[in-house]
Amino acid sequence: MRRYHINLVRGLLFVTALLAAHVHADICVNDDSGAQLCLTKAAQRIIALSPGATELVYAAGAGDKLVAAVSFSDYPEPAKNLPRVGSYNRFDQEAILALKPDLLIGWLSGNPREQLSQLHSLGLSVYYSELRSFEDVASTLERIGALAGTDSTAKTAAKKFRVGVNDLRTRYQNSAPVTVFQQIWTNPLMTVNNEHIISEATRICGGVNVFGDLPNLTARIDNEAVLAAQPEAIIAGGMGEENRDWLNEWRRFSGLTAVRKNNLFFIPPSTIQRPTPRLLQGTTLLCKHLDTARGRR
Amino acid sequence: MLSATDLVIDIPERKSGTPLCFDVKSGEIWGILGPNGAGKTTLLHTLAGLKKPRSGKVNLNNSDIQQLRRKHVAQQLAVVFQNNGEGFPATVLETAMIGRHPFISPWDIETADDLAIARSALQKLELSNLEQRLVSTLSGGERQRLAIATALCQSPKLWLADEPSNHLDLKHQVQIMALLAEQADSGCGIILCLHDLNLAAHWCDKILLLYPNGDACWGDADTMLTVTALERLYDQELSMISSEGQTYFMPVSSRNSRRD
Amino acid sequence: MAVVKTNNATSALPRFLTPLLLLFIFTLGALILAITTGSVHISNQELWQVLSGGGEPLHRTLVFELRLPRALSAFAAGGLLAVAGALMQVLLRNPLADPYVLGLSGGAAVGALIAMLSGLSATVVSGSAFIGAMISAVTVFGLAHGTGSWTPTRLLLTGVVIASGWGAAITFMLAVSPSDQLPGMLYWLMGDLAYARSPWMALTVLAIISVVMLPLGRSLNVLARGQMQAAALGVSVRPLEWTIYICASLLTAFAVTTAGSIGFVGLIVPHMLRLVLGNDQRLILPAAALAGGALLTLADTLARTVIAPEQLPAGVITALIGVPSFLYLLHRSR
Repeated sequence: MRRYHINLVRGLLFVTALLAAHVHADICVNDDSGAQLCLTKAAQRIIALSPGATELVYAAGAGDKLVAAVSFSDYPEPAKNLPRVGSYNRFDQEAILALKPDLLIGWLSGNPREQLSQLHSLGLSVYYSELRSFEDVASTLERIGALAGTDSTAKTAAKKFRVGVNDLRTRYQNSAPVTVFQQIWTNPLMTVNNEHIISEATRICGGVNVFGDLPNLTARIDNEAVLAAQPEAIIAGGMGEENRDWLNEWRRFSGLTAVRKNNLFFIPPSTIQRPTPRLLQGTTLLCKHLDTARGRR
Repeated sequence: MLSATDLVIDIPERKSGTPLCFDVKSGEIWGILGPNGAGKTTLLHTLAGLKKPRSGKVNLNNSDIQQLRRKHVAQQLAVVFQNNGEGFPATVLETAMIGRHPFISPWDIETADDLAIARSALQKLELSNLEQRLVSTLSGGERQRLAIATALCQSPKLWLADEPSNHLDLKHQVQIMALLAEQADSGCGIILCLHDLNLAAHWCDKILLLYPNGDACWGDADTMLTVTALERLYDQELSMISSEGQTYFMPVSSRNSRRD
Repeated sequence: MAVVKTNNATSALPRFLTPLLLLFIFTLGALILAITTGSVHISNQELWQVLSGGGEPLHRTLVFELRLPRALSAFAAGGLLAVAGALMQVLLRNPLADPYVLGLSGGAAVGALIAMLSGLSATVVSGSAFIGAMISAVTVFGLAHGTGSWTPTRLLLTGVVIASGWGAAITFMLAVSPSDQLPGMLYWLMGDLAYARSPWMALTVLAIISVVMLPLGRSLNVLARGQMQAAALGVSVRPLEWTIYICASLLTAFAVTTAGSIGFVGLIVPHMLRLVLGNDQRLILPAAALAGGALLTLADTLARTVIAPEQLPAGVITALIGVPSFLYLLHRSR
């Protein structure tokens, strides 16, 4: 009788353990396409299909699980040595399949959707990323960490990022607003609207994007629109990480407030245009620049 | 064989003029004469069924040519056009071979018989040595002879030729008119648009005069080819010379009249 | 009589069969190259295992899921374009004509770009491209037909003007569309086989139209001599021109739907074949299907391997192979 009980208890324990194991084995996250992605075990062979995704995987502590990346994946340093599978907008499906990855980090609006969905239909797990805000950076870090089994590193990184952003937000929330023109390209001259992550950075620093109300995320505009908007500061990246040519072009318009007060500021494009933890550095720099502008009033 | 019943050709913005009623019989050579713009080519195309008449009918062997299938018409009747430059590159032999088109069904390809017909046509027109040349490399006269060879491949019962002597030197002019006369003798009906009055006088049995205003008259060659009628037709003074039983027409030029 | 005809006919056939056989072998070679080459090396022995139903799962995936459909799509698109080009050149009797000269690719591009801008799926983009091409074809035909007669010059002029209209519409859409959509749109315009999934539709259309054109070949030869001459030789010119126009439009529409607007194949392949094989459309049309298909298959194979893992658009390679070989043939023919 007693023996039977013991067996019963053992059996129940076994079933519970199985269930627990089962629940534990499936790692599920929601990706940015709205789909749920489940892995039976933590990813061991990851391919990141955009330079930004590569950075995020390293930041989430899963850099050693990356087996390949795409062209221009230049940060952090070890990423430069990863094997390549093409570029983000045109990659080699064969090379990807041959590496037998168990997780692809795709880019919803940048990668060719057809090719990604074909890889998905060939049995590869695809996480679709699309980062539109600072919070997306933190949550993507956590999700990649979950998928790669590097939860603790990822959570720490996410927390550090959130805290850093919050500090900036608190420090500048009562600063006087500065009107800003954010230049992301020249020929054609391009800027961003308020939906863009760059504008979120500008808001955190107490700046106001003069073209924030444009309908498209990025927009082509002409010099005249900038002259008419009279921004107090012009922020630009450039080709390469320290190239001030774009800013110097504005100097011929001496009627511009930003030119008169010399509020032409450079921010390395990869620290503000890529939605990665380095956004914190870019934003910190942006905040400093806007403070300088306030000082020149 | 080919008859026109109250036929009025369709030339935009021109009065209808005289309706044409005539019958081209086997063995006859008809010449259509008229000044530039009188509508000779339009008449020829209408007779070939390639152009709809304004009114009246063209009958081929007693059926309305507009109602007949084009392929059926092409088996009876060949047209030699004035311009043979148009079109894609093709060799002389290929061009002659298309004359066999109406006789080959869509799923068949040309037989050795067809090839033999084409070769003999080319030989008749002294083009054999040019067989593989591209048409675009031929001289005007050679092209004209090729057009006639192509029509010959069609082994037609009726010939409709627009200025067949165009571009030809004297020897080939005579050769081609003789060839057409030979065709007539073997039972073909032949209609020619001509500019050369003397060729018409020499070779044609019947003549149709086409005036620029749409008027027309027709009949036997000897009754039609009179100086007064032709002077009215061309609005040009003419003189007539007879030599060795043949009649020749010469325009009287101002230079001659000054000398008088 | 019928018996004699058949006997004689067999003697003329080799003239067609030999070049077609050679082209068929060339095509087969191109297809084999396409499924054996890629960034992953598969040895002949491994390939044989795969083809006989075994082999590594990875190799099976590469061959059957990636390389074979893509090679067949390239073959179909190239064949469709070359045949369409040959037909357009005869229809317009203009050596500069290509499948796109009458604005079909413009219409297709506008259709595809609208679908992309609306964020619709790839299938809808293809369907929309097809509809765009057909709208363009019907518009050009309707306008060229107009009230007067339908001469090649009038058709050509109408087509060219409509094509520039589409061009303006495309530029406008590229100018106002959000920049994250731009790369996809540009790649579509360049023509790319990376998106080609199922080749069967295009292959079927190619086969059907080739068969439809078979009995019309000789009539095309006659039409190539001019409308009047053709009519005098018993060709029903108007219906024939309609048939050519509709077939060429369908061919182009399916090609563009399969692979975007890949340039060059439709213009150059028919000309190359004419320089080598002469002007008989009965030979040129099936030869164009094979040669165009083989050229694009070869070009696409190079495009995806030559600087692998980076991928090139196939159109770049078709021009790189096509331009020098065409110029060589043209030079030699003089």
